[in-house]
Amino acid sequence: MDALIQLSDVSKQYDKDGAFAVEDVSLQVAPGESVAVMGPSGSGKSTLLNLIAGLDRPTAGTVTVAGQRIDSLSETSLAKYRRQRVGMIFQFFNLLDDLTVADNVLLPAQLAGLSRAAARRRAGELLDRLKISQHRQAYPARLSGGERQRVAIARALVNSPELLLADEPTGALDSVTGEEIGELLLELNQAGQSMIMVTHNADLAVRYASRTIQIVDGRLVGDEVSSGAGTGWQS
Amino acid sequence: MSARPVLRAASGGVTRHRAQTFVIFMVLLVSTASATLGLALLAAADGPFDHAFAAQRGADAAVAVSSAHLTTAQLAATSRVSGVTAAAGPFSATTATLSSQGVTLPSSAVVGRSSPGGRLDELTLVTGHWAQKPDQIVLSEGMGFFPGLGTKMTVPTAPGTPVLTVVGIANSITNTADAWVLPGEISALRPAGAPVRAEMLYRFASAGTAAQIRGDVAAVAAALPAGAVGGFTSWLNARQQATGNSTILAPFVEAFALIGLFMSVLIVANVVSGAVVASYRRIGVLKSIGFSPAQVVVAYVARVGAPALAGCLVGLAAGNLLAIPVLHKSAASFGVGQQQVPLWVNVLAPVVMCALVALTAFVPALRAGRLSAVQAIALGHAPRQGRGYAAHRIASRFRLPRPVSIGLAAPFARPARTAGTLAAIMFGVTAVIFAVGLDSTLSRAEEGQRLATTAPVQVGLASDNAWQPGSRPGRAITAALRSQPGTLRYVAVAQTELGAGGGLALKVNAQAFDGNAGWLGYGLISGHWYRGTGQAVVNTAYLDQTGLAVGDTTTVSTGTRSVTARIVGEVFVPGNQPALMTSVQTLGGTSANLALDQYDVGLKPGVSIDSYVGQLNSALGANYWVSGPGQGQFYLIADSLIAMLTLMMAVVAGLGVLNTVLLATRERVHDLGVFKAVGMTPRQTIAMVLCWMVAPAVVAAVIAIPVGMALHTAIANAMARAAYTGLPASFLAVYRPAGIVLLALSGLVIAAAGAFLPASWAARSKTATALRAE
Repeated sequence: MDALIQLSDVSKQYDKDGAFAVEDVSLQVAPGESVAVMGPSGSGKSTLLNLIAGLDRPTAGTVTVAGQRIDSLSETSLAKYRRQRVGMIFQFFNLLDDLTVADNVLLPAQLAGLSRAAARRRAGELLDRLKISQHRQAYPARLSGGERQRVAIARALVNSPELLLADEPTGALDSVTGEEIGELLLELNQAGQSMIMVTHNADLAVRYASRTIQIVDGRLVGDEVSSGAGTGWQS
Repeated sequence: MSARPVLRAASGGVTRHRAQTFVIFMVLLVSTASATLGLALLAAADGPFDHAFAAQRGADAAVAVSSAHLTTAQLAATSRVSGVTAAAGPFSATTATLSSQGVTLPSSAVVGRSSPGGRLDELTLVTGHWAQKPDQIVLSEGMGFFPGLGTKMTVPTAPGTPVLTVVGIANSITNTADAWVLPGEISALRPAGAPVRAEMLYRFASAGTAAQIRGDVAAVAAALPAGAVGGFTSWLNARQQATGNSTILAPFVEAFALIGLFMSVLIVANVVSGAVVASYRRIGVLKSIGFSPAQVVVAYVARVGAPALAGCLVGLAAGNLLAIPVLHKSAASFGVGQQQVPLWVNVLAPVVMCALVALTAFVPALRAGRLSAVQAIALGHAPRQGRGYAAHRIASRFRLPRPVSIGLAAPFARPARTAGTLAAIMFGVTAVIFAVGLDSTLSRAEEGQRLATTAPVQVGLASDNAWQPGSRPGRAITAALRSQPGTLRYVAVAQTELGAGGGLALKVNAQAFDGNAGWLGYGLISGHWYRGTGQAVVNTAYLDQTGLAVGDTTTVSTGTRSVTARIVGEVFVPGNQPALMTSVQTLGGTSANLALDQYDVGLKPGVSIDSYVGQLNSALGANYWVSGPGQGQFYLIADSLIAMLTLMMAVVAGLGVLNTVLLATRERVHDLGVFKAVGMTPRQTIAMVLCWMVAPAVVAAVIAIPVGMALHTAIANAMARAAYTGLPASFLAVYRPAGIVLLALSGLVIAAAGAFLPASWAARSKTATALRAE
């Protein structure tokens, strides 16, 4: 089976003479897999996620997602790649404060040129599924952290991306809410959603990911199958 | 208070925020340059003639005397006549026809002077050098004929047709001559049989009015043998010409200066306060590490002050550089020699701009200084929660591309800053609408005066002589005109002086046309062009000074008889000299003994004026002169001023937009990262940022259209009043609906131009970096 994500000898240096944020990382992720990326602060987890999301470019090596080399794409092609193939959720939600919940969720679909009716239908489905449809006309600042993260997840899924990338998705939430979001991500993965999740939380990784990767000082130092509930394909 | 940390904080701000520093520098540069230019022009319009007249020791009167039977001692004795305070001369003089490069000039007054200096009428050498040999000639700048140094000019009216070489161009403040040669050369240039003449220059104790000068000259004439004084020219004529031009220019220069000042205040306030507000977070950090409120204030006033001061100084230099060519043109037009930017302008402009910056920086810096560190950090993070949300909600309902609707709603997050930017764009668009309208009005006024379209060619006898209708010169000219295939039509005109008003004491410049002259196209303020014998049109000065109105009957004196005519129209002829136009028949026809002295000639479409003039010159020979349309120096100055000032206003407005958008992109850098993270392409990002300024630009344009049009009408009328004339309605009706829409689009152009750089920056910024920004 072809890998959804293929990283080959990927390195990232922010300064020419500085340390490597990511160094010589090679990695494959299969469709439907749920991968947790763990490591201490500053180990390069988020950088790795950004490289896969096309938010940053590697200094060396290649990044291929769904058969498409993304490290050599133009900025415009990268934007289209992000809106069509990738959904991202962040530790601090990164919702736009001046847009309503519905408008936040609709935004990627509208940028992708989806018809107005289709976009609204899809956003409505997601808001219902994530149990936040009652807040559709509210502004993010009025929502709880968990509700905001649900909105962020709905926004990430609105274009039905092949890959969901989550950067510390429970990092800014209390434990109960974090648990809820974890369950939600697990449900999504069980429904076939491929996922990579950066986390500090070993428990979260074990319970909700099918595979855990360890990174230290930018290098891949561990890659093991979790015993938790992840259902994706495992190598 | 230790200065070092404060200076470090200030200099750190300058170097770290290069884009903002650049904007502050540029806004102050352009603002100071426009202020310097505007003030310099206003100063130039304020009595340049009087200053130059004093500097060049201008003569109150240049008196022509028949010197054949006078001794130098007799003429020198006139300096002791009561009322005469200074005298110079006698300078030998003659009338001569000058011809060069196929162009024969109208009869010119040539005066012999050994040098440009002297007790009176010190000539300003504009280019070249003074005549050093008998065959050299220096032309007066006032002639408006610049053939180039080294050009050979023949004098067909002098025995042997001598050839002279042009070695210089000089300027006399009171136009005492058309050309100068060495004194010994005059006799060789004098036409055979012409009287020997000389020119005497005088300063009088009382020379403020025409009557005083007439009395002064009469006193001089009384000291000489009867008939020795042949005529004189008064300094008042030259003064009227010069101050008339500058007075006409003053209203629109003042209007531009005011617009520029308002814009500068708005934009400097927006830029500087924006720069301080954008630094609140940094201010919070500085306070948290121990900066006192006073140190914060000093650091931030200094931070904006450094680039502002640099901008002021460079702007001052730029303003001086821009003023030089305009002042040079102005000086050339007014015939007042060199004009310079006054010292007080060079002090006032930068001082006012720096004071403005200090004031606008001080208020927000003081506010920042008083905030607690936590408050400053919080305030510096983002616009106040809730602002602009409704705008986004409404904009999302429109069927517009999402980047466009988000961009349209964005300015509502910062209403005060947006209002300032809107006002700046409004002033910019107002300036554009006003300037374009004024330029059109001036073009029509110029056409109404110069008749460059309808009658671009004039032809006449190359001497002071005029001729009677049907005489041999008239027949020769009409034969030549008929033989030219490019001739469309022509009319002969007699220029004469009439008496009018109470006791017929008012001197009126009259033009009497020998035939239909309606096609000449003089602008009509009211009424219609004369349609038959007994009708006349007059200018505004005529109506003002006689108290008559269109429809009234006026009586004028030709010197030998009185003629009554009905005033059927008010014609556009600027100046405080009453003017009347009518037919030769109205003034008595051939019995009036009117002297025709030129033909106004209209050309067929597509005919080259230059080649037509050349061919007609060849056909008529050296005894006639043929000329094309003049240069219209006043309109050239006005056009270049309008273009320069409008461009500056537009640039300042664009910089205001650039600043606003730059601040917004800095503040919203994180949001921009989010937009890009969810798939906004660089092109969509640019479109969104450009749209931030669309709504303010549209509103600004909607306000600016009536304001610009009203300003145009007010200023054009003020300029006309300064020129002692009304304006034909057609001169003011310069705006058409389609044109107005296009002019209003200038607001969008200014907004787009100002927003494009920060938009490009936003599109190029790295998404991951933007997402990390707080």
